Amino acid sequence: MENPLHHFEVHNIIPIHIGGLDLSISNAVIAMWVGLALVGSMFVLPSKRGLSLVPGKLQSVLEIAMEFIRNMVYEFIGEEEGKKYIPFIASLFLFILACNLIGMVPGSYTITCQIVVTGVFAIGIFIMTLVIGFSKHGLHFLGILIPPGIPKVLIPLMIPIEIISMIARPVSLSVRLFANMTAGHTILAVLFGLAGASLMIGWLPFGFTIAINGLEIAIAFIQAYIFTILTCVYIGDVIHLH
Amino acid sequence: MPQFQQIAVFQPLIFWSVLSFAILFFILKKFAFPPILSALDERDKKIRGDIEESEKLKQDVEEIKLSLEKKLKAAHEKAETIVQLAQDESKKLQEKTVQEAEAKVKQVQREAEQEIESSRNKLLQEIRGYTAALTIASAEKFLKKSLGDGDKKRLADESIEQVSRELKI
Repeated sequence: MENPLHHFEVHNIIPIHIGGLDLSISNAVIAMWVGLALVGSMFVLPSKRGLSLVPGKLQSVLEIAMEFIRNMVYEFIGEEEGKKYIPFIASLFLFILACNLIGMVPGSYTITCQIVVTGVFAIGIFIMTLVIGFSKHGLHFLGILIPPGIPKVLIPLMIPIEIISMIARPVSLSVRLFANMTAGHTILAVLFGLAGASLMIGWLPFGFTIAINGLEIAIAFIQAYIFTILTCVYIGDVIHLH
Repeated sequence: MPQFQQIAVFQPLIFWSVLSFAILFFILKKFAFPPILSALDERDKKIRGDIEESEKLKQDVEEIKLSLEKKLKAAHEKAETIVQLAQDESKKLQEKTVQEAEAKVKQVQREAEQEIESSRNKLLQEIRGYTAALTIASAEKFLKKSLGDGDKKRLADESIEQVSRELKI
């Protein structure tokens, strides 16, 4: 039986080395580009063609997606402050969703299975929240480390705990996405391996793969949603400071 | 797990994913999101405006309905009053006409009665005159002699009474 983790391997297709940097284009990058191109054209083309007041099918989908994201941003960041974050949050959601979904196509690659990718995004968001917090509140932003209403005696204890919980945020954010996508694809790979192993009962694991494929599509949406909603929560936290 | 072992691919993966996200972000921010969001806002505004307008129209209709109902009620009342007045008037007129007719009838009757009475009296008077003359003349003939004034009178009265009795039958 094939190693179920085999398909997580990245193969360089076009090696590019500039200076000391390795910028090789791999199968993962190409799959991501295909997904992004699909999502990007889905959003850009109707918008370029002009939107009508009475929406068609595609326009309805785009509007529902944007309304969903806008409401999410308004709920966690606030209507006043949230407006300028809508493009970022929407792009983040669509990026993760496109990467998750394109990975469902057999033979492609799910770049969100790579912890370095989810890690970079999570750390980037973490740094962004710190920048927003300090630029908005100055040194008062450090007050986020002291939960409101705790006795003064406990402050020395709470500050390290809060620091740890702050640092845990990007870790959990990146690991959650990476682990979910990896687990789903691993299960699919294992079941497909079993389906091919025996002709007599191979139909059973194959049947499971069909159900799990549906589940994986749902997970692709849910994980993109969770990643973005937590981003909103973190941004909302540093803006409103308790 | 390859994700932890293929350290060599980390650098290009990070580079391309961040770059791709940045490009996607700028393209969508520039070309896709503003028109979609403004379309949403526009529709929102239009729906809100339409609802407000329809709400206003509804209120107007309600007001018009109320005023029309009021007018209708007033018109009904007026019509009823007019009908009542007309009925009263006609009743009065009817009564007056009847009274007048009755009075006239009574007057005519009275006049007729008076006329009859006077005619009768006149007639009686005439008859009385004739009878007196006749009685005297016939008595004179029968008796072949003149009567005294007293006898004449008594005879005349008797004749008159007799004639009157016969006439009154």
